[in-house]
Amino acid sequence: MLRQFLSKLPRKSGKSDSPELTRSTSCTTAGSTPQPHRSNSLNLGSGRPCAPKRTSSAVFPASVVAGIEPLLPFKDVPNSEKMNLFVSKVSLCCVTFDFTDPTKNLIEKDVKRQTLLELLDFVSGSVRFSEPAILAMCRMCAVNLFRVFPPNYRSAVSNGGENDDDEPMFDPAWPHLQIVYDLLIKFITSSCLDAKVAKKYIDHSFILRLLDLFDSEDPRERDCLKTILHRVYGKFMVHRPFIRKAISNIFYRFVFEIERHNGIAELLEIFGSIISGFALPLKEEHKIFLWRVLIPLHKPKSLGVYFQQLSYCVSQFIEKEPKLCSTVIRGLLKYWPITNSQKELMFLGELEEILEAINMVEFQKVMVPLFWRIGCCINSFHFQVAERALFFWNNDQIVNLIAHNRHVILPIILPALEKNAQNHWNHAVLNLTINVRKMFMEMDDQLFISCHIHFKEEEAKVSILSEKRKEAWKQLENAASLKPIAGNTAVLVTPLATPIAY
Amino acid sequence: MSTVEEPLYPIALLIDELKNDDIQLRLNSIRRLSTIARALGEERTRKELIPFLSENNDDDDEVLLAMAEELGVFIPYVGGVEHARVLLAPLETLCTVEETCVRDKAVKSLCRIGSQMKENDLVDWFVPLVKRLAAGEWFTARVSACGLFHIAYPSAPEMLKTELRSIYSQLCQDDMPMVRRSAASNLGKFAATVENAHLKAEIMQIFNNLTQDDQDSVRLLAVEGFAALGKLLEPQDCVAHIIPVIVNFSQDKSWRVRYMVANQLYELCEAVGPQPTRTDLVPAYVRLLRDNEAEVRIAAAGKVTKFSQILSPEVATHHILPCVKELSSDSSQHVRSALASVIMGMAPVLGKDKRIQARGTNINYLLWDRTDRRFFHSVVVVITVVSMFMLDDATIEQLLPIYLSLLKDEFPDVRLNIISKLDQVNQVVGIDLLSQSLLPAIVELAEDRHWRVRLAIIEYIPLLASQLGVGFFDDKLGTLCMQWLQDKVYSIRDAAANNLMRLAEEFGRDWAMEHIIPQVLEMANSPHYLYRMTILRSISILAPVMGSEITCSKLLPVVVNASKDRVANIKFNVAKVLQSLVPIVDKSVVEKTIHPCLVELSEDSDVDVRYFANQGLQSINHATMSS
Repeated sequence: MLRQFLSKLPRKSGKSDSPELTRSTSCTTAGSTPQPHRSNSLNLGSGRPCAPKRTSSAVFPASVVAGIEPLLPFKDVPNSEKMNLFVSKVSLCCVTFDFTDPTKNLIEKDVKRQTLLELLDFVSGSVRFSEPAILAMCRMCAVNLFRVFPPNYRSAVSNGGENDDDEPMFDPAWPHLQIVYDLLIKFITSSCLDAKVAKKYIDHSFILRLLDLFDSEDPRERDCLKTILHRVYGKFMVHRPFIRKAISNIFYRFVFEIERHNGIAELLEIFGSIISGFALPLKEEHKIFLWRVLIPLHKPKSLGVYFQQLSYCVSQFIEKEPKLCSTVIRGLLKYWPITNSQKELMFLGELEEILEAINMVEFQKVMVPLFWRIGCCINSFHFQVAERALFFWNNDQIVNLIAHNRHVILPIILPALEKNAQNHWNHAVLNLTINVRKMFMEMDDQLFISCHIHFKEEEAKVSILSEKRKEAWKQLENAASLKPIAGNTAVLVTPLATPIAY
Repeated sequence: MSTVEEPLYPIALLIDELKNDDIQLRLNSIRRLSTIARALGEERTRKELIPFLSENNDDDDEVLLAMAEELGVFIPYVGGVEHARVLLAPLETLCTVEETCVRDKAVKSLCRIGSQMKENDLVDWFVPLVKRLAAGEWFTARVSACGLFHIAYPSAPEMLKTELRSIYSQLCQDDMPMVRRSAASNLGKFAATVENAHLKAEIMQIFNNLTQDDQDSVRLLAVEGFAALGKLLEPQDCVAHIIPVIVNFSQDKSWRVRYMVANQLYELCEAVGPQPTRTDLVPAYVRLLRDNEAEVRIAAAGKVTKFSQILSPEVATHHILPCVKELSSDSSQHVRSALASVIMGMAPVLGKDKRIQARGTNINYLLWDRTDRRFFHSVVVVITVVSMFMLDDATIEQLLPIYLSLLKDEFPDVRLNIISKLDQVNQVVGIDLLSQSLLPAIVELAEDRHWRVRLAIIEYIPLLASQLGVGFFDDKLGTLCMQWLQDKVYSIRDAAANNLMRLAEEFGRDWAMEHIIPQVLEMANSPHYLYRMTILRSISILAPVMGSEITCSKLLPVVVNASKDRVANIKFNVAKVLQSLVPIVDKSVVEKTIHPCLVELSEDSDVDVRYFANQGLQSINHATMSS
């Protein structure tokens, strides 16, 4: 909304007749007498029309500024005038330049840069910001920062992946953007900024646009955004639920719709510290977030990019509320990767971390499906996966849990161990398997023997069972074919059409 | 099996299978739900199977997906349409799961069932389901609900219709962008079922809300619905209500939205007719053609011909042609490429003298930048098409240098493109003028360091052969074809073998006897076993072309000789080749030569050799038995 409002402003430049601004063709009528009331309430009504004629995405307005001239330095005006000068300077910085052509507007670009640096210096000072100043500042940030990113050609033009692979696209305007970001950080963290007034301008729409920027390909930009959003979260208590909700929406879209977003790691990092600040006992809302958002975030295939931050968030939850362990493990089992070994390694890593912290009751809740899965990992043909799973037995805490529940776990895990011992191709895995087997034997050799016997019996039965299954289906199909489907619809003859692949 | 237990049996089997740890087994049993249902009979399917499935939905997404799909075609198994409603319950639960694929499939199946259900059943069962989903606590249910309204709405009584419309409008303002996106993308379908009177009022209002959404992903989807809505309305209403919004959209700050408009605009023009198009939409379109974002220009450029067709030639010449000229020297290759692929259609639109002018500019502009391959692909196509259209001397004069320079282009793709269109080029300028430049181009491509390029040129060799004739081929290309047999990359060697076969077909046996066979057989003694293997492969595909006599006299001895190779892989390939030769040669040869050789191989120390030798022997037995 703010953006739309602002976008109208350049046209008004002609009317701008406040003394300080005569030469700057830039936006705003603000000058020394800004009208704070023309802020959001007014925009809400005005809706969306009148976007500027050629809105750019990452491109720059073609309308080039005739020339901007530096304003007086801050030290040359009396204190009473400083805030007005601030507003003027900020307004001057609303002009944006075409950076794709490095030879264009060199002087003007430098004027803006100098002005931004002056502002940066001023914001660090201790003059209380007036409401018009806050408005101007937010507007300037919006004009400069809130842009729609250009399409990503790298993914579209992937002919064999031979050419310019991982070259992220950087906004050529970064030299200015960076100072604007620095300015915004300083501004928000400044003790001279009254959150009660500022929240009117740093509103939901502002935050949403800020969040949109997290999709930037430039890690420097995302880093700035991370700091800013974190500070906003810290300073504007009223916005906290909204920010959490808005970030969740980004996550949902990422997981369930597009699987593409550049800023997931940064957003999770912010959440990491948000979670560590949650009060105990945890609110239901936050637990839902764990279950509905953080756990499904394990699904996308780009998990590796943000895995560290994600697993930190999860571990924060578990630290706060150990009873969540079984929930988390169940979630991991639900999203367990089937074909992606790299992800499987990450899952195993996260699992081990949780198992180190888990208590006996929680462990017992999930141990059956858990060790069934671990058994599958042990049998993985990817030696790193098999190895990683077998390393669990090097962990005293986990071995302790297993030993306590060996009557349940050994029968589940033994077939996997035997299968490896017979024919795993990798020597390291083979040796580890034998060690684990020995460990069980030493743990309880009576149990081991009885399980082993049981396993041999079962193994012998396997082929009979599958024969039986086939037989059963055959009979069933027979029975089915004897009962032609009736109903008074003309029946499509599709009974056994689905191919049966064993 | 006793008849007494049989009734209990099918469902027990299913339950048992669904408990299995092995997901493949669970999937298999779900895939055979229809069998179970048939065995159970309609009534028990309704009373036992379906309730069981409704409760059993805590499985892997893959299993749930299969279940959602199966249930969509389940009406016959529950006893026809009057019982269709029992299927709603399990699908309703599937509509609420997390995984998007499952939900989508469940919605699809529900639509399928709903469209067959009787009107009063729809009112009694389907509409309440839609309402429940729309009021779902979790967003997944609400997302699914949006896709069901167009089924529920038509048969609902007036009161209910009003309610449904208002529910939909709420969904369009949902808190979660996911729901709004779903509502926006389904609105077109829903609008198509709504009465005209409500379209202008309520549905337009809903659309207007969506157009002001703060998420560009929502607005984007609304654009699509808008174009659909435009077609439903009377032209004058469309002009009054839809066009202003679309024009507004065409200036949206998000390029994705503008891109969508660029893609949809033409359809809207069709709906409103030429007059409003000229006054209202041409400026918007021109703006899109000049958009700052290349992606938008690409979309717009792609529609330039269709758009011009609606307009009168003057308007097209006046407003569109200047843009086209700009675009043909656009800084983005993709824009030029999109333009190049449609620009030929402009010619008839513009009338004759404009056409010639356009042709001149196009060819020149298109040659503007020769660093881009995708672009050049289009250039080559376009130029060739141009020339087919207007065959005259001037064209040839203009084209020849272009072809020649393209043949020397630094990008292999460009050269390949010209070569791939050689038959067309031949029609236009004649091959003689080109052959001088052709050979160096081919040789260079044949030795390109990217194997895909080499592969591509090999695949064009038969085409070249047919266009250039034997004479040209013998001198220049023969050696290349042999060289490829010893390429480092398997695919190349394989393609080379196929190529030989196609050449033999093209030029005949005698030629092949002279120019292919001796060279190939010579390589049979290559020190590298992979090359020897390639020769075996070549023999096996050349044999059918060369016929029985040559096979027996020339090819077979080499194969038999190879059966004494020291590499096991060669030996089992010998077994395979021998098997493939059986149908080609005489029975006596099979008995005298092939059979003994296979017998020997079947006693080899290597297990694979024995396997394939035995397979060969079996097929011989088969052949003799059947004959």
